[in-house]
Amino acid sequence: MSTLLEIRGLVKHFGGLNAVDGVDLDVEAGEILSVIGPNGAGKTTLFNVVTGLYPPNGGSIVFDGHHLVGLKPNQVCSLGIARTFQTVRLFPNMTVLENAMVGQHSRTRSGLLGAVLRLPHTRAEEQSVREQARDALAFFGSRLASFREDQPAMALSYANRRRLEIARAMATIPKLILLDEPTAGMNPKETEEMISLVGKLRDERGLTIVVIEHDMRLVKGVSDRVVALDYGRKIADGTFAEVSSDVRVIEAYLGKGAVKAG
Amino acid sequence: MIGSKLLRRAAIAGLIGGIAIIYLALVGMIEKFEARHLIGDWLNLGRLMLALPPLLAAYLATRPRVQAGRVVRLSRGPAITAGLVSGVLAGGLAALWVAFVHLFPDGAVRNIFVAVSPTLLSIMTFGKSLLVGALLLVVVGAVLGALGGAYQTLPERLRRPLSIGLATTFMFALLQRIIPQLLFYLNLDSTWLYSTTFGGLTPIGAVVVFVVATALPALWASRGQMVRQRVAQLPPARRRTLNVSRLLLLAVVLVLLPRLIGSTLSQVLGQIGIYLLMGLGLNIVVGYAGLLDLGYVAFFATGAYLTALFTGAHLVTSLGAVASPDFVLHLNFYAAVPLVILVAAFIGLLIGAPVLRLRGDYLAIVTLGFGEIARVLVASSWLQKFTGGPQGLRDITDAHIGSVGFRDPQPFYYLVLAFCALAIFVSVRLADSRVGRAWSAMREDELAAEAMGISTVRYKLLAFAMGAAVGCLSGTLFAVQIGSLTPDSFTIVVSITALAVVVLGGMGSIRGVVVGTMLLIGLPGLLDEFEEYRLLVYGAALITVMILRPQGLIPNVRRMRELQEEEVAQDQWLKEEAPAVTAAGGGGGS
Amino acid sequence: MTEQSGGPVETAPRPRTVTLAERFPIHRLTLLAVAVLVTFGVVTGSWKTIAQGGVTGAGWRLFLVFGIAQGSIYALIALGYSLVYGILLMINFAHGEVFMAGAFASYFVAQSLESKGLLDRDPIPSLALLFLTAILVSMLVAVLLERVAYRPLRNAPRLVPLITAIGASLFLQYTFSGFFGSDAKGYPSVKSLNGTFNILGFPVSRTQVLTILTAIVMMVGLRLFIARTKTGKAMRAVSEDKEIASLMGININQVVVTTFAIGGILAGVAGVLFALNFSEVDSFMGFVPGIKAFTAAVLGGIGSVTGAAIGGLILGVAESIGPVLLLTGIHVPATNQLRDVVAFTILVLVLVFRPGGILGTGEPEKA
Repeated sequence: MSTLLEIRGLVKHFGGLNAVDGVDLDVEAGEILSVIGPNGAGKTTLFNVVTGLYPPNGGSIVFDGHHLVGLKPNQVCSLGIARTFQTVRLFPNMTVLENAMVGQHSRTRSGLLGAVLRLPHTRAEEQSVREQARDALAFFGSRLASFREDQPAMALSYANRRRLEIARAMATIPKLILLDEPTAGMNPKETEEMISLVGKLRDERGLTIVVIEHDMRLVKGVSDRVVALDYGRKIADGTFAEVSSDVRVIEAYLGKGAVKAG
Repeated sequence: MIGSKLLRRAAIAGLIGGIAIIYLALVGMIEKFEARHLIGDWLNLGRLMLALPPLLAAYLATRPRVQAGRVVRLSRGPAITAGLVSGVLAGGLAALWVAFVHLFPDGAVRNIFVAVSPTLLSIMTFGKSLLVGALLLVVVGAVLGALGGAYQTLPERLRRPLSIGLATTFMFALLQRIIPQLLFYLNLDSTWLYSTTFGGLTPIGAVVVFVVATALPALWASRGQMVRQRVAQLPPARRRTLNVSRLLLLAVVLVLLPRLIGSTLSQVLGQIGIYLLMGLGLNIVVGYAGLLDLGYVAFFATGAYLTALFTGAHLVTSLGAVASPDFVLHLNFYAAVPLVILVAAFIGLLIGAPVLRLRGDYLAIVTLGFGEIARVLVASSWLQKFTGGPQGLRDITDAHIGSVGFRDPQPFYYLVLAFCALAIFVSVRLADSRVGRAWSAMREDELAAEAMGISTVRYKLLAFAMGAAVGCLSGTLFAVQIGSLTPDSFTIVVSITALAVVVLGGMGSIRGVVVGTMLLIGLPGLLDEFEEYRLLVYGAALITVMILRPQGLIPNVRRMRELQEEEVAQDQWLKEEAPAVTAAGGGGGS
Repeated sequence: MTEQSGGPVETAPRPRTVTLAERFPIHRLTLLAVAVLVTFGVVTGSWKTIAQGGVTGAGWRLFLVFGIAQGSIYALIALGYSLVYGILLMINFAHGEVFMAGAFASYFVAQSLESKGLLDRDPIPSLALLFLTAILVSMLVAVLLERVAYRPLRNAPRLVPLITAIGASLFLQYTFSGFFGSDAKGYPSVKSLNGTFNILGFPVSRTQVLTILTAIVMMVGLRLFIARTKTGKAMRAVSEDKEIASLMGININQVVVTTFAIGGILAGVAGVLFALNFSEVDSFMGFVPGIKAFTAAVLGGIGSVTGAAIGGLILGVAESIGPVLLLTGIHVPATNQLRDVVAFTILVLVLVFRPGGILGTGEPEKA
């Protein structure tokens, strides 16, 4: 099994705040890795740096043999990393289908000439884009299909919006998907569904998945491996059982006095 | 009885109406518009300006309101009373003002407010003495107010046809230069419809137009549903032929238009066409890509000057001798155009490149700066050898094919029509393509778009380049139309006009841009008295549109959702499109 | 281990090559080219001018003082932009018209004062009246603008209030030209302001002295107001974080209105000073100074009071000395129009290279 993503000594600080403070991380191809940690631990910043939103202040990131540091987000995306956002960032006035079709952008090429002249190559591409988008939507059953396709994204319920964001990320045909708190704001039933969904993503679509999560049910139900961050540093790395009983992790979440109770 | 809240609303509306009347008087519209007769000799545009504020104030004050979650309409009594209050206050305020003006010695007010002439005052007092006139103002205000309030209480199925009827009659009255021409061309007599002495509609003509225009929508309302259903049930092949035949009909009308309306009016059409092209170009930059460009005149100027320089124009010298600019090509017009587009697109890239990172407001100001720099450069003595400086260039090609020149209004129209059709074609194709999607995504959420693989750099540049290409075409046409160029034609007013057209019509909507151009360029072109107030109206229109209906007159469907109340759109959508949701229960998801 | 029972879609993305456009980023090249050209132009032009010695020491001094005076006016107007931007994150495009309105109103008062001879006989109360009129009218226009055009759009996407502001600017310009005529009005001159004072042994125009002093007084006053008064504190709070400020019990609407009013006061004063310096008002006089003042605000760092002052100063001096310095050497006549180009060029350069302004950071603001 190969290492898909290799992060070494990653540092990102904002003024005086060290959001990511020397993180080493490996992600194996085909595994589901959860990143946990208290609020402000640097998890989302980690995602942001990996995907090129912020340039790191130090360290290296190698993905599938490519160096990611210095690349722009759209370049990172075409290399095969897709992500969702902590606060869902859909294109609210575009339809569900269109949102998914946008995901296909980096896998297609037609530009100005193709659009204006409707060359056969462009028409075939549009057809394929639609199919791929529908396929990604179909992953969620009937929730995002048929009549829903033409609804504006902002008309969707909250849970459906999160699902659409994942579908959009899937449509980029990634190798690695970064999910940022996918179950935030969901009820227990929806969270259950998300657990099986994440598993399906890996099993059926062959994706490697890194999930930032607070909900330990999801973390337990889904992860092959768990990494814990605190104040920008990795404080634990192992299976869920190992990490959840790690003293430092408990301290980070509950404070020093809580260890006795644990 | 009339509630106190309603009373207050009516009072405020009335006072605002009064202020509006005073404003219109002070700015000179009431007097200047007197000359435009609408119906017979008793309703002219000036009087209409006087009458509209109390009418509108009453109408708006008696609007249905949301109370405790329900929409509450007023019943006839309170509505009319409220309308009366508004109207009386509006008229009263105006009357007070007229009286107040009379207190001053003759001409004293005119020293400051130049529009306050004796003519104006007599218009406002209906030609009677001060006391009678003032009283009349109040009474007329009251009547109009009552009418406005009553109008609000009419049932919807009556109100809609009536409104359409009134609007159509008004349109017919305004188009008093075009329609008689049309009828003349069709060998129909128009003297029963339009008064030859006054220019506007005859009373009989007005009544006829009104009745027909009211009856048609009423009929459509009852039969229309059936027709629409029948059309929806047609097999797709049939429907396509229907669409094609509609387009063909439109094409035929467009081709015949200059013949129908005569040469002078064709000039207006040419003007409309030039601004339509500009609007279409700006529509790509602002409407599709969401980049507010306030310096669009730079592309307009580029297109005009490049065309001149590539087709062998001359410098304007004071001696009358023929001198050539330091750089000039002598290409045929149709060979020059692609070259102009290429250079303009490149300049678009140059302008876009530095501003890529900037946020909306800053982007607008920088482009404004570019526009101004362009104007100054073109007029400067420094570049005089190339651009002709303040005197400009002359002897520009008339884009002839063989011996047919296109400078005359009617042939020019066809040239414009061809270019506009091309621009519309390109815009439509772009909107519904991968490029269009990328632009939409970028406009809605730049960060997310970038994360999804869209290079915002590339697509912003592309938008600028496309906008430049289309904008420069309008400059090209302008150069051909006038045959010579001076820097005075390239002021910021051009940029703002283009913006107004796009905003009013609907950002991102091609049909909207067409309508916007027709209204904002066509009307002032047809009715000279509007010309003076063009920019004032643009300014007011921009404010009004942004506050009341930011998606524009004919919105692009997507943009409408973006700018309108989200909840309204959401509810509307769910109601219309997914009746099956509740029935399907859990299958539809949470 | 995972089963690669791949779905109907390809799982391997097309290998990605870095495109040519990305390896030679055209926009970075353009920026570089522009920077080089500008620096070259500035250095060459200045060098040639100084070498030729066409302008005397007294001449430079005149230009300098004129630049400082003009810069003071820009600074006063710029403060209005800065304050409003700090609170609402919007550019009040119509602020130039607020300035114009004050100047225009004071024109009528000045005319009537002059016809009665009061302008020359009692200059100090006359001037005070002029300033008062301008302040009141400018304040009124500013507050009306906020109430009618901007408040309904407080939460709209950013494009919308900007377009509204443009519309308001147009509307005001043409309303004034419709009301009062589109011709330029000659502003009466105040006899006591003609002539010069002796500053440091050099003659300096009295009007310019008044301008600079008034501007300094107003700016110091503003500084004290913002730092010491409760309203000033509220303004600072709202500009930091509107939501939290409202949670702390600050009435946002009131603060916004106050901000606009203060901007109006400053603009009104600037209006009278401008009119006294240039002896002319017309309904379109606000447009160009408005843009220049905005340039000054951005130059110094928008949202910052000191920044607006510094920006105004720099812009005024650059505009005054710049064209002469750069262009006389290469024999290009430094017309007024080219002076405007200096301002616009600075605007473009600042926004492109350093949108945060001189006092700000080098980072452009995130969306």
